[in-house]
Order: sequence, then C-alpha cells, then structure tokens
Amino acid sequence: MLLSLLLCYGGFTALCLSMDRHHAELLGGKPTTRRRRLLKLGGWLLLVLSLWAAVSSTGWGLGLVEWCAVLMLSALLLVLLMPYRPRLALSIAALSLLVSPVAAFAQY
Amino acid sequence: MKEGFRQAMAWLHTWAGLIFGWLLFAIFLTGTLAYFKDEISHWMQPEIPARSVTSEASLTVAQNYLQQHAGGASRWLIDLPDAREPGLSVRWQQTPAKRGERGQFTEKLLDPQTGAEVQGRATTGGEFFYRFHFQLQMPYPWGRWLSTIAAMVMFVALISGIITHKKIFKDFFTFRPRKGQRSWLDGHNAVGVLVLPFHLMITYSSLVIFMSMVMPASILAAYNGDARAFYDEVFPASTAPERADKPAQLAPLAPLLEKAREQWSGGRVGRLTVNNPGDANASVVLVRDGADRVVHDFGSAVTFNGVTGQLLGTTPEQSLPRAIAGSFYGLHMGHFAGPVLRWLYFICGLAGTAMIGTGLVIWLGKRQLKHAKSAVMPFELRLVEVLNIASMSGLMVAVAAFFWANRVLPVDMAGRADWEVNSFFIVWGLSVLHAMVRRGRTAWIEQLALVALLFGAMPLLNAMTTPYHLGVTLAQGDWAMAGFDLTCLGSGVFFAWAAWKMQRSGQARIVIRQRAQPITLEREAN
Repeated sequence: MLLSLLLCYGGFTALCLSMDRHHAELLGGKPTTRRRRLLKLGGWLLLVLSLWAAVSSTGWGLGLVEWCAVLMLSALLLVLLMPYRPRLALSIAALSLLVSPVAAFAQY
Repeated sequence: MKEGFRQAMAWLHTWAGLIFGWLLFAIFLTGTLAYFKDEISHWMQPEIPARSVTSEASLTVAQNYLQQHAGGASRWLIDLPDAREPGLSVRWQQTPAKRGERGQFTEKLLDPQTGAEVQGRATTGGEFFYRFHFQLQMPYPWGRWLSTIAAMVMFVALISGIITHKKIFKDFFTFRPRKGQRSWLDGHNAVGVLVLPFHLMITYSSLVIFMSMVMPASILAAYNGDARAFYDEVFPASTAPERADKPAQLAPLAPLLEKAREQWSGGRVGRLTVNNPGDANASVVLVRDGADRVVHDFGSAVTFNGVTGQLLGTTPEQSLPRAIAGSFYGLHMGHFAGPVLRWLYFICGLAGTAMIGTGLVIWLGKRQLKHAKSAVMPFELRLVEVLNIASMSGLMVAVAAFFWANRVLPVDMAGRADWEVNSFFIVWGLSVLHAMVRRGRTAWIEQLALVALLFGAMPLLNAMTTPYHLGVTLAQGDWAMAGFDLTCLGSGVFFAWAAWKMQRSGQARIVIRQRAQPITLEREAN
C-alpha cells in the first residue's frame, strides 16, 4: 500500500504541474508544450503503476479498494498542502518518487 | 437549453442539500465514528482487558466455563475475540425457543486468558453511533425510512452537484484559502470531487443495503406476497437437531477451528453455535467471520457432529447476485479493513462530513452577503444559521458529552447506559438554545471552543477516572485505548485552531468595516 501511495502522490503532482496555472504557481512560468505532454504522460503512467502495485500485492478485491483509498488520500493531501506549503508539496513528490524503488524492493 | 438544465440542477442541488443537509451531516459524522465502533466500545468499557491469545485457547476457556455453568442448556453461543473486539462472549439458552422467535439468552463476558467473568460498565459504546447512523434513535421502522430517504437525497445532491460543477477537471487541484466565500466553495468542490468515489460508493451501497425495504415489489411478486419465504430461502437457518436424550461427552471444540479453516482456505471463525451440548445428538456450527474479505458473506458456516467431530455439512458457495450485494455491504461497512485502511475510511468519512458542512455554510454565506448592511437578519436566514450551528458544532459538543458521561457517571448507577445516551441528546438540545440566544459568530466560537476543551481534556479525564491512562496504554501497546485518547487530543487541537481562526476573521471583518465607514461618510459629506 505504501508503494502505491508514493506512486499516486507523484503521479498527481506531475498531472498538477502539467496544468499552466499550477505550473506557474509552483515552478514559475508557463511549461513548454513538450514538457506539458511529458508531465501528463508521466502522471498517468505513475497512476497506472500504482494500480498495478496495489493489485499485485493484495489481489483484485482488496487491491482495488486500497488503490481507490490511496488515490483519494494522495490527491486530497496534495490539494490541501499546495496553497499553504507549495515547496513542501513538491519535495514530498520528489522524495516519494525517490523512495518508491526502495518500497518496491521491500514489497517483492 | 443547456444552461437551463444546469440551472435546474443547481436549484435542485441547493435546496435538496439545504433541507437534508443537517440530517446528513449527523448521519455522516456518526457513520464515520462507527468505523471505529469496536475501538470506541473498548475505550468506553476499559475494564475488559485486551489479551492476545489464540482462538483455540479462548475457545477452550469458553468450553470449560460453559460445561461448568450451563451443562444442561439447549444451546450455547460463543463469540470469539479478535484483534478489535477483546471480549470473549458466551451466551446460553436453557430451553429451545419456538420457531420464528428469539430465545432467552444469558450472556457473560469472559477474560480469554483466565476464564474469569468480566463485568464491564453498562454502556452502549460505539454501538450507539452505529445505530444512530441509520436508525436516528427513532422507533422501528421510521428511523430507517428517514435515513434511507436522506441517502436518496444525498445521491440526488451528488449527481446534481457533479452536473452543476462546471470545471471539474480544470479546477481539479484548486483550493484558494483566505478568500472568504471563494475558499468555502473551493473547499466544498475539492472534498466533493477528490473523494467522489467514496461518496458515490457509500451512498449507493446504503441504498443497496436497504433495498428490500425500499423496493419490496420484486420480492413480494416472486414469492406471492410472502416476504418470509424469501428470507428463508436466502438465509437458510441452521435448524437444530432433536435431542436424543442420551448423555454423551462433547468433543473438544478447539480442534474444529483448524478443520473449519481448511474448509475456508484460511478464513477465521467468528462465532460458534453448539446445539444440545452433552447430548448424543450434539452439533456444532462454526460461522465464518466476514472480516477477512471485501465481499461480505452472509453466514458462511460449517457444521460438525458434536460428539465425534465428524463434518456434517457446509453452506453452499454464494450466488453471483448475493456476492454483488455482499460486496456493496462489505464496502460500506469496511469490516475487512486493517488499521491503515480503516483510518483511510475514517478520513474519507470526515471528508464527506466536511463536504456537507461547507455546503451548508456556503448556502447561508451567499444569502447573508445581501443583508450584510442591515443590522437584523431575516427570520429564515437566522433559522438556517441556528440550525447550522446546532447541527455542526452542537453535534460535536454532544459527541464529546457522550464520552464525558461515560467517565463521569457513577459506574454502578441504575440505567447508566441510557443516561449516557440521554446526556448526548440533552447537550445537543442545549446547543440549539445556546445558538438561539447568542449571535451567529459568537455562538460558533463559543461552541467550537467548548468542543476543543472537552476533547482536548479527554486524556486527562481518562487518567483521572480510570487507571488506564496514556502512560499505561502506550507502554502496554493497547493501541485502541491510546489511539482514542490521542485522537481526542488531536481533534481538541484542531477545534481550538478552528475557534481561534473564526475569532480572528471576525475581528478582521470589524476592522475592515470601521475603515470603510469614514470613507463613505466623507463621500456623503462631499
């Protein structure tokens, strides 16, 4: 569940950064088209990966439930953190992507 | 045409949300608390010790106790303790009940380690929130009907809310605090959209749970108006065998647990029923604990011969429609959830409660703006304001009062459990009076401060009235007890922050108004 939480949070942050307004707020400036596309693709990929992480560890029944819970929690956390502590929100995303290989290693 | 449809939906969302919002807030909050019903019960009956013993050991304890105290009974019921419910409960029935009736049972709680009887203080515990959540403390079946209607309105409000919300994906990550009405609307949308899967699941599944009550037509038509025949078919009751009236030694029950586990590929036993113990025709029914799977199974059981220990029969695999209904039931109740997932359920429930609360605040805030200049508010707005305060902060005060009553009322008081519930409703009623007497913002601040005080002092109260304070429970690793205290402390801090925030924004508004006044006066002078 930890792995899929980390991947979900990273994915949502990437998707969030792929939007002009949030990119300007968090990093300053408008993203280039190429960068926007990459962020969007990466974000969706991470979300799919997190689904796989949840399902492969506990099976479809519980895995899907856990994935939905993690999906909602990570998005809620990101949205509540962004206006108050934007830098922290970004560093958590970076950290979670860095830690996720370790979590993946621990899971398998 | 398109705009007209959206406006109609906005109207529906606004008014359906307002009329049922107060009730839905209470249903959501108590339902959220009910996810920790066993932990709340454990805190409210601290005399029952949490032990970690195997099911086999506690079953042997129960069998020894029952053989000594209820050897000649016609039926025993044993509820095995699990990680969340520490008590080992044994019940027995001296004479068999008539068909279709519930028999008279004597119930005792045992310490699963020593086998001694445990006397917990009289309380409804977490069960109160669970029951209130769908029965609303009303006589059967009115509470169930009202809460089901509320669930339907909730469903309507969710769908119309999605249609009304114009920019779901564009505003997906948007929350702009410190902007007054704008922030409330952002917050309402954020918790609504981000936790939408939970909202839809919980609302729809509640309708599935009560579907036979809401839409009995299909059952009545298929079974010629005899609903009982339907239930007999869906829930095949384990019929008790006749007594042989020949005494025979009951086999040890503990080894049967392993046999049942083999049948269910590892599934736990939750309850045992022993029919005719001590008779040659004894039988043992082991019922599976539903907590190990998402799809709830309504009474999967295996039956053994009580003397020889031979397998007599198993319930068939559940059919697909029942598995679907069972999965909605399982998802709604969340029995399967471990500690982490249970907390996530709790947070989702709080998000739902917050969505309803912010919606109510927005309704009032929008209309209050029009009357900001006049000193008196129209009656209907004042009514909504009082109801908002009493249904939100007042309910929190009442919840805190319920927990306080558990610790403050004398342990041997007559009708103690009822008085706990009474104090909940008395305090809730008082909060209505308080909201009527005080001005809107002052009432909010005072009630929130009271909630903060009551919750924040809960660990202290617990330490003063029982020997199970945080120092002990943390050292013992009794996480249910310690977690309750810590959660109360945390919510106390949160409510203190909310009260402080409310007071500060109130002062800011007064300053702005005072600054604005000279300008208008100057203009008038010019």
